[in-house]
Amino acid sequence: MPERHKSKLIRHIAVALDCSPHSRASLGAAAELARLLNAELTGIFVEDINVLRMADLPCCHEIRMYTSESEKFDASNLERSLKVQAKTAEESLQRIAEDLMIKQSFRVLRGIVPEEVIAAAGEADLLVLGRSGRSPTCRKGLGSTARKALEKGKRPVLFIRPGFSAKEWPVLVLYDGSEGSQEALGIALNIINPGIRLNVLILGETHEESAELERALSEIIALPGSAVEYHHLPLTSGKTLMRFIRMVDSGLLVLSDRMKISREEVHELINEIDYPVLLV
Amino acid sequence: MARPSKLTPEQLYRTCNPQEFSFNTTADLDGPVTATGQERAFEAISFSMGIKHDGFNLFALGPNGTGKQTAIMHFLGNSAPQSPVPSDWCYVNNFEKPRHPKALRLPAGKACSLSRAMEQLVEALFTVIPSAFSSEEYQAQEKNIREEFQEQQADEIGELEKRAAKEHIALIKTPSGFAFAPEKDGEVVKPEEFMLLKKKERDSIEKKIIDLKTAMQSIMAQIPKWQRETQEKIKKLNSNIASFAVKPLIAELRTEYTAIEEVSRYLEILEADIIENFDQFLEKESDQRELPPGMSPGKFLQKGASFNRYRINVIVDNSATRGAPVVYEDKPACQNLVGDIEHIAQMGTLVTDFTLIKPGALHRANGGYLLIDARRLLAEPLAYEALKKALRTRQIRIESLAQLYSLVSTVSLEPEPIPLDIKVILLGERNLYYILSLHDPDFSELFKVAADFEDELPGDLEGKLAYAHIISSIVYKDNLHHFDRAAVARIVEHGSRISEDSTKLSAHIQSISDLVHEADYYATAATREIVQADDVQHAIDAKLFRSSRIREKIREATLRNSILIDTDSEKIGQINALAIYSPGGQSFGHPGRITARVRLGKGEVIDIEREVEMGGPIHSKGVMILSGFLGARFATDQPLSLSASLVFEQSYSGIDGDSASSAELYALLSAISGVPIRQCFAVTGSVNQFGQVQAIGGVNEKIEGFFDLCKARGLTGNHGVLIPASNVENLMLRNDVVTAVQEGLFAIFPVSDVDEGIEILTGIPAGELDKTGLYHTGSINAMAVARLKEMAEKIKKFTSSSDDDNQ
Repeated sequence: MPERHKSKLIRHIAVALDCSPHSRASLGAAAELARLLNAELTGIFVEDINVLRMADLPCCHEIRMYTSESEKFDASNLERSLKVQAKTAEESLQRIAEDLMIKQSFRVLRGIVPEEVIAAAGEADLLVLGRSGRSPTCRKGLGSTARKALEKGKRPVLFIRPGFSAKEWPVLVLYDGSEGSQEALGIALNIINPGIRLNVLILGETHEESAELERALSEIIALPGSAVEYHHLPLTSGKTLMRFIRMVDSGLLVLSDRMKISREEVHELINEIDYPVLLV
Repeated sequence: MARPSKLTPEQLYRTCNPQEFSFNTTADLDGPVTATGQERAFEAISFSMGIKHDGFNLFALGPNGTGKQTAIMHFLGNSAPQSPVPSDWCYVNNFEKPRHPKALRLPAGKACSLSRAMEQLVEALFTVIPSAFSSEEYQAQEKNIREEFQEQQADEIGELEKRAAKEHIALIKTPSGFAFAPEKDGEVVKPEEFMLLKKKERDSIEKKIIDLKTAMQSIMAQIPKWQRETQEKIKKLNSNIASFAVKPLIAELRTEYTAIEEVSRYLEILEADIIENFDQFLEKESDQRELPPGMSPGKFLQKGASFNRYRINVIVDNSATRGAPVVYEDKPACQNLVGDIEHIAQMGTLVTDFTLIKPGALHRANGGYLLIDARRLLAEPLAYEALKKALRTRQIRIESLAQLYSLVSTVSLEPEPIPLDIKVILLGERNLYYILSLHDPDFSELFKVAADFEDELPGDLEGKLAYAHIISSIVYKDNLHHFDRAAVARIVEHGSRISEDSTKLSAHIQSISDLVHEADYYATAATREIVQADDVQHAIDAKLFRSSRIREKIREATLRNSILIDTDSEKIGQINALAIYSPGGQSFGHPGRITARVRLGKGEVIDIEREVEMGGPIHSKGVMILSGFLGARFATDQPLSLSASLVFEQSYSGIDGDSASSAELYALLSAISGVPIRQCFAVTGSVNQFGQVQAIGGVNEKIEGFFDLCKARGLTGNHGVLIPASNVENLMLRNDVVTAVQEGLFAIFPVSDVDEGIEILTGIPAGELDKTGLYHTGSINAMAVARLKEMAEKIKKFTSSSDDDNQ
């Protein structure tokens, strides 16, 4: 039952930084969580090996963002730019850590970004990263690193998007009684700020099962000073679920991909949804 | 010639009989103060107020303290409430040209309600606009537009990315842009591997990359256009949303003010401006720095200075006005008259807007009456010119003085002028009126009516009752003790004394008011509930005593014979004249000695005062007139073979006036005839070439001056004063003088001719011409003729003997 998972404490949080708006939001959320859980925060900055390789390819030209002029790569310039980015990322990490009085460390790695991030996050209890990074297409779904983390990375992983504050977000947990959902609820209870509403969306196969699940949960969940609200939805497709989640309009969505709905459907949901997601 | 008889005590003082009054104390009088004796002025006021044409403004002239303002206020108090209430005025922002604020005219009382409505509107906008813009519908629409742009961009780049992927080329974000690179298994081909490729392959890849790059560049070139389009769409959406939120609110206002076309038009422009600048209502907190220091932050200021633009600056609010406004401007400085544009210091610079336009007295009195003290108006720099300009152009144009004279160089405003319809009433002394009419051509154009206030009231019962009412109103106004009728009578007598005419009463209300207050003080000190005649007398005496230091000093010097004044013996060529001293507004009389000496000469009278330039022109004129008299009387048959000198003894500060000319003539007659003058007399009065004695001023003080000296030395019953007969009406003498006359210790002689005077002074008749053309033997004139003849012969003899010597 959920309190069993309470012991699984998050002591170390890794956050992927690349100076994009999503990454800044990730840093904010990660730092807030670190403060709440009294965890250490590690910033990971990966120098993209692909970019560095391009500099040595004679056929590659850089197209400037605001002038659309193209120019041959200058390796030393590129190195310097990456250093500057890393420095900026580190400074923002230091600043926020100082403000919230948390312990921090910063690592600069070089390689293929998604792989390096996932590898580096292996040492941490939680990976925090932006839903999309410095992708050229400004796509709506998950970015390449996030996608990789979703598919291959360890759990738990927190996907952040800008516009939500980790301090005030209400939490919505998907619960269907499976082990994965129990873990999700356990972590949600761990990371919820005092006084913040916890929404539990119970996905029962039948009405009776849902009622039973709620009864069982209400016995064990005792959140002083915070309200728990139960919602019921018959076990259904990812699309209906998504509509319902939007309706509840909760901040952070906590779920597991080891639930009664299929892993693919959960991943599809994560790809489409506009809210920060903590995947357990 | 008959010797004039002494004046009776009744002629010396006209008592006011308390029994004339029907009231017991002033508490019985509570009716309105009716000013009497000012019919001429009232006629002028009524004419000026009634006539509607330009330039018929009023100048009320008369000495200060005669109650001009009170009288006019009283008049207007009756007539102004009958007139229609003038419009309200306010200044509003000119959204097209903020430097030229617009003036709005509203029916009386509407300006404030419009201002309040506008405040409420802005308050409402702070709720309505944010809620419209935070509605889900708006958020969704805005998000749609923005996402449309994002999608458009993403789609185009995504297509390109797909196209590249087919060719095994990746689109990669670099620190400062994009780049295409050949990829293999999701990674960029390592340079060494790339170099291992055949040249043909490399060229092919390079070509593909160049194509993709060109395609990418053309997409990027379109991004600003898409951004612009997105911005346009959002702007249109915003405008629609704002317009939907704002229109009903303003429509509500507009129906209320639909009859006022100007306001309707203003509201229309206002609506467009609010819709255009809706975003200012979305800001949660205003920038506190914009608050002007020291200004109380109103509702608008709390919301930030930018909301000033929707304020209504009410310049004239006639909501509480009944009839036409009557305004008295106490400090008629230029900016207090025509208004001012104030500035506030903001971050070291001076800024202003239409809310800092301050109205002037002309605004407040527009449609009614404005009273200004003329002297104060002229003392204020440029104020008179500004007033004239407003009256001439019939509009109030507010100009910052500092701006006008380039004293400050900062942003200023040119508010729309407001039409002016006003009657200006200037209050001032007569001198000012005469100077202005003489030297300022505009003045007679703009102030065509003069209300000439009398200095005096008639001394009849009506005038006395008017006095009683004035006293009563002062008592009520200042919460003093009431006066019994004897006290009122005493004040009436004093009013007569101030006016120097026993048949008149002074219209100098200020003096009366002062006396009333002083008498009240002494009554209070004596713990009396009602002020009595004694208190009034006490106040008069005390005031006299307070200002008597110099008088006492002069009398003391006289008693010690430092100043030589003889009041007992008889002297040839010496006489006591009477002079008036006026230090600090308090005048008193004192005798002065005039002496005359004669010698052989050619007929000239030497005025020593004039020779040493200590005599004024009127005094010199008096001496020349008496020379004329002497010549006509004694030198028709023989030359006037004397040279006479006249002097005011012990005068060190110069003299003027001709009131001593009769005394000088008596001294000369005495010197010529050799008959001594009794020094127990003092003389005042001017004389003409026929020897008639003419009226002079200050007769009461002069008599009292001599009386005081004689009294100090001891009255013998011989002492007396010769005054011109025409001054008898001016007599309002002190009680002790009247008592002395009653007891036969002092006498006052009314003299109308020098012959009468010389007879009293010498005890010898002046002498009239008989049929033979000679004066009666033993008369003054006969002795004078004999003396002159003797002198003429001496000269003749001397001249012939010297002629003989020459031959």
